[in-house]
Amino acid sequence: MNTLRARRWLLSVVTLAAVLALTAAWWLGGIALRPVAKYSGELLVLLLLLLALFNVRKKLPFLPLGSATAWLQFHIYAGWLSVALFLLHAGPQWPRSALGFALWLVFLSVAASGAFGLWLSRWLPPRLTRSGESLVYERIPRLRHQLEDEAGNLVRQAETEAASSTLADFHRQVLAPYFARTPTLFSPLAEDDAAHHRAGHELASLRRYLSEREMLIADQLAELLEAKRNLDAQYAGQRLLKLWLFVHLPLTYGLLVLVAAHVWLVLHYSHRF
Amino acid sequence: MAQNPSRSPHNFGSQPPQGVAPRREAAPERWDKPFSAEMTDQDVDRVLEHPQFSSLQHTRFPSANPLRGIIKNDAAIRRFQQGEIVVRQGDYGNSAFLILRGGALVCLQEPSGDQLGRRQRVRPSLWGSFRRWLRQPRYGEVWSQRGSTVSPAAGAPRIFLQDAPGVLGPDRTIRLGAGELFGELAALGRTPRTATIVAEAETEMLEIRWQGLRDIRKFSAEWRQLIDQRFRERSLLSHLRETPLLRHLPAETLQLIADATRFEAFGEFEWQHTYQRAREASDRERLEKEPLIARQDDPAAGLLLIRTGFARLSCRYNHGERTESYLGKGETFGLEELFATWRGTPTPLRHNLRALGYVDTLFIPAAVLEDHVFPLLPPDQLARLERAGLATGSTIPWQSSTTTNAFLEFIVAQRFINGRATMLIDLDRCTRCDDCVRACADTHDNNPRFIRHGPESGGVQVASACLHCVDPVCMIGCPTGAIHRAGLEGQVEINPETCIGCSVCAQSCPYGTIQMVALRDEDGLPVIAEDTGAPIRRATKCDLCIDQPAGPACVSACPHDALIRADMREVEALNRWLQR
Repeated sequence: MNTLRARRWLLSVVTLAAVLALTAAWWLGGIALRPVAKYSGELLVLLLLLLALFNVRKKLPFLPLGSATAWLQFHIYAGWLSVALFLLHAGPQWPRSALGFALWLVFLSVAASGAFGLWLSRWLPPRLTRSGESLVYERIPRLRHQLEDEAGNLVRQAETEAASSTLADFHRQVLAPYFARTPTLFSPLAEDDAAHHRAGHELASLRRYLSEREMLIADQLAELLEAKRNLDAQYAGQRLLKLWLFVHLPLTYGLLVLVAAHVWLVLHYSHRF
Repeated sequence: MAQNPSRSPHNFGSQPPQGVAPRREAAPERWDKPFSAEMTDQDVDRVLEHPQFSSLQHTRFPSANPLRGIIKNDAAIRRFQQGEIVVRQGDYGNSAFLILRGGALVCLQEPSGDQLGRRQRVRPSLWGSFRRWLRQPRYGEVWSQRGSTVSPAAGAPRIFLQDAPGVLGPDRTIRLGAGELFGELAALGRTPRTATIVAEAETEMLEIRWQGLRDIRKFSAEWRQLIDQRFRERSLLSHLRETPLLRHLPAETLQLIADATRFEAFGEFEWQHTYQRAREASDRERLEKEPLIARQDDPAAGLLLIRTGFARLSCRYNHGERTESYLGKGETFGLEELFATWRGTPTPLRHNLRALGYVDTLFIPAAVLEDHVFPLLPPDQLARLERAGLATGSTIPWQSSTTTNAFLEFIVAQRFINGRATMLIDLDRCTRCDDCVRACADTHDNNPRFIRHGPESGGVQVASACLHCVDPVCMIGCPTGAIHRAGLEGQVEINPETCIGCSVCAQSCPYGTIQMVALRDEDGLPVIAEDTGAPIRRATKCDLCIDQPAGPACVSACPHDALIRADMREVEALNRWLQR
């Protein structure tokens, strides 16, 4: 078994054991009439704060605070543990207050967005690798314009040299919109490259109308199409890999605020009984 | 599948212009740019009258490469002032020095870094790191006052030994007088200078760049004898003693082997200049251009020890040649075959050995090994060689699964094997979050020192970050020694206080990992030179976070375990990472 898989197994087993231990403690504590809700709440707050510290670690790379890999592994498995603890703490019933409902909803949203991000960060990178040359995200808009220009120049060259409008017409109707488009947000999930295949197919079927000189230019256009496909895949994939954090992080800050309110309310009203 | 950005199906912006006639220029010649434009015919005459040159037979030099031409174009007369540093221990140089007048002092003890004009490195405390982060400038690479060790007034920058009287006491130095030659071993072997040498008083020296030195050695038996003799006296014995096979031998046997050892060099000394062309060539063309040091199936005539550089170990595979591994400094070739032959089973060489760039080798004849080494082998080495002889397969540590073999072919072809801290990114795990780039910028004054982009093979990217090479060709030619090895671990660092922005290192780096960055003032405006009006630039590159308490920030900032800084000589560790 390779080291990454072994690590995943080990940490999963440890987390599962911790979940079982917590469940058993909850059940036994309930029988013994111990304040299990208080204990589980305190543990949950501690866990949430530790989970949130991962982002602080990222902002301070110059301090010897341990590797980000170790932090992420803790973040993942402590995250799963906190979900189990939250379910124990909240109980099977529907929340009765507005704050409780908000807390419930936001906690599960944070957990769901985290789980989605984890899945995405394991599922998408190998697909980007197989798509073609890895590109720097910030450079992609410039490269897209460059491709558009190159395609336009090639078509103008074909028009002048071959005195034919076949490629120019095709460029106006199909290529120009294709080179100008940006992929949709979730296109990496759908593995959607239909537009690329359509443009490629139409370019291939156009060959019957082309001269030999135009054929050579069509070959270069086909290369540009392939480059645009990879460029779209890299852009859409990298964008999605960045954007999920823009959901996860604000929700996390919201959760911390709601948790603080919940803790204050609990402490405030617990003194009255 | 190896992917090089310059060879990808579509290379952005690299289409040659259509219908433009090629420009015609005279082919560049070696002496188009002499070492010094100030070398006059009178100077050449004076040098040729020096005892070291007057006895040389000019007729031994070919007409295309006369001794006079070598002195005129490959040498320069340098005048040093008292206390001026001629060479510094640990620096890489491409020239040797002959003292014409005056004297020089060899420091027996290495002076401290600030005495040599080197930046002192102090690992900051946690609070120090935090404070530096808070105070980092808004703009990358902000101009600061330079140190006082560089004197820009005298044309070429000069570096003086600080506190010279304290460092240069009579019991702390060895004096070299007029007529003495030094620096030739470091120049020809591309090894670091082994001592710091300072001008004793006003001193005149002839500096000969390595090309001239190589030719003089080639065509003059006297110089060849002199240089080889010096190598035998100063370096060879210690090199042989460090070789595991010979370590156990008594001193007199080692001397006997040293006397029989031949020096051989293969490939281009300044291979970085042709590297880009070699990268763009097809695999077959590239292989054909690599000088063959030893041929598969030939009888093993002797043992080859790699002294400097790298060699490709390959064998025929159907219609091609399959790379099996690579050899670097201190490794041997042909040992198993020689041993098997000595044991009575004549065994030809199992592999080809080809020079990657420049390789300097030592050749120990088979007869010497058979008479003086094999009979005295310790039991553990004997057992290992017996096992290697019995094994039908390779004893090379590189695993030959399909993936790693493609990766091996890639790193050898692109010569990334030169790296001691090559940045490898596992693209199947990298989420392109750029936490590594941000961490680098946060620890380097807002200017990240690498680009997360580079050639790829089998889902592994070699990012454009300094490799901290075993053979750092970037150091050759740095006029101030600003780029230097920072410590025993071999990190290559640029001292911003002595960097004059000449860009020699950036042009020499075969991997393009050194960036020339325009300096800015505190308001973000470019700083320009008073005399020329050109922006003042500085060379910047990865320093492996040598002054960070947490080590390389890029590695520790990667949350996905996707990035490592790999020492390419540690093949087994590299294999483990690839197979994880």
